[in-house]
Amino acid sequence: MKKIICKNVSKCYKKKMVLDNINLEIESDKIYGLIGRNGAGKTTLLSLIAAHNPVTSGDIRLDDEIIWENPKALEYICFARQVAPNNPTSAKNYLKIASMHYPNWDKEYADELVKIFELDVKTPLFKLSKGMQSMVTIIVALASKSQFTFIDEPVAGLDVIARDLFYKLLIEEYTESHRTFIISTHIIDEASDVFEEVIMINDHKIILKENTEELLSRAYYISGKEEKVDEITKGLDCYHTDTIGRSKSTTVLLKDGQMIEEDSDVTVKSVSLQNLFVALCGKDV
Amino acid sequence: MSQVLSQEKSIYLQISEMIENDILRDIILEEERIPSTNEMAKLYSINPATAAKGINILVDRGIVYKKRGIGMFVMSGAKESIKERRKLEFYDKYISSVIKEAKSLGISKEEIVSMIMKEV
Repeated sequence: MKKIICKNVSKCYKKKMVLDNINLEIESDKIYGLIGRNGAGKTTLLSLIAAHNPVTSGDIRLDDEIIWENPKALEYICFARQVAPNNPTSAKNYLKIASMHYPNWDKEYADELVKIFELDVKTPLFKLSKGMQSMVTIIVALASKSQFTFIDEPVAGLDVIARDLFYKLLIEEYTESHRTFIISTHIIDEASDVFEEVIMINDHKIILKENTEELLSRAYYISGKEEKVDEITKGLDCYHTDTIGRSKSTTVLLKDGQMIEEDSDVTVKSVSLQNLFVALCGKDV
Repeated sequence: MSQVLSQEKSIYLQISEMIENDILRDIILEEERIPSTNEMAKLYSINPATAAKGINILVDRGIVYKKRGIGMFVMSGAKESIKERRKLEFYDKYISSVIKEAKSLGISKEEIVSMIMKEV
């Protein structure tokens, strides 16, 4: 089983730090969700791993081999970027170029996906809606058949039915091929069931990488009378705490061995991935 | 297997509960094959690992068993054992929360009993 390993990876654009000392291991046969705020460094991270962009320091390897300028390693990797908004080529041409770029390209599958999405392949990309441009990104990703496939915001601009279709196609391809996917997205809740693991980036660092189910099983939203909430959350990691009058609410992330004692005066609820993300990465106002 | 997944509860628990419900309702019969992990993953757009986790709970409970190379099947006697276990869980799941809510409203023991007697 192949693995991608990022070791002490940093990236600066001129003096601006975009990624700060990233250590990350991407395993085979998994679907990862990559979430973070705008400008957190998601696209940069994916472009570094796919060697579209050089690192400032550190190294990224596929097993033991450095990926940068290594055609053999790059055969295993596809980074399906968002289509540039001013791109004058048609989807047909765009897919043709992709087919030459990816050695395992599956033309039949690509044609089938064009039909499924009812994509207009003749119109210049810049004239297509954002959603249709995203479909092109999705088709490149799926039809590349690359072992490690990264998709940058595949659902941006897609309507809810097309998004649903995308998740179904993704799961179908994943169950049949056992490829690895990393999917960056801002529409978190509806995708969270698809992710086996979630990678969260905040302020240019990876703040967590964990099995989604396990992460959510240790996250709780607690609310009630201030003193009671304080008593129950004493010693726990609390995020995004709010108080209104005598009531207080907070989101806690339990560590190994910690638990919440039940109390009839407080409400304890499970937290969705989106709410947890807001609690961890949002700024208290 | 046609219910909608909610965000309130772990997905794998919902998967195991749905299969059990289907067994209780004779939608899946004993000694019949249950949907595979991949079928469930596609149907609900969830990660196959999550679906597998849900099915594993049922294996641990002796509700389903694996036939090599064919799939997972419902154990004979599964329906009865689901009922038995759910009866045991009935107190924790329903009665204790009724009592908790009653306490916070100041409803007396007698009142709770008479409410239940009226319904059953």
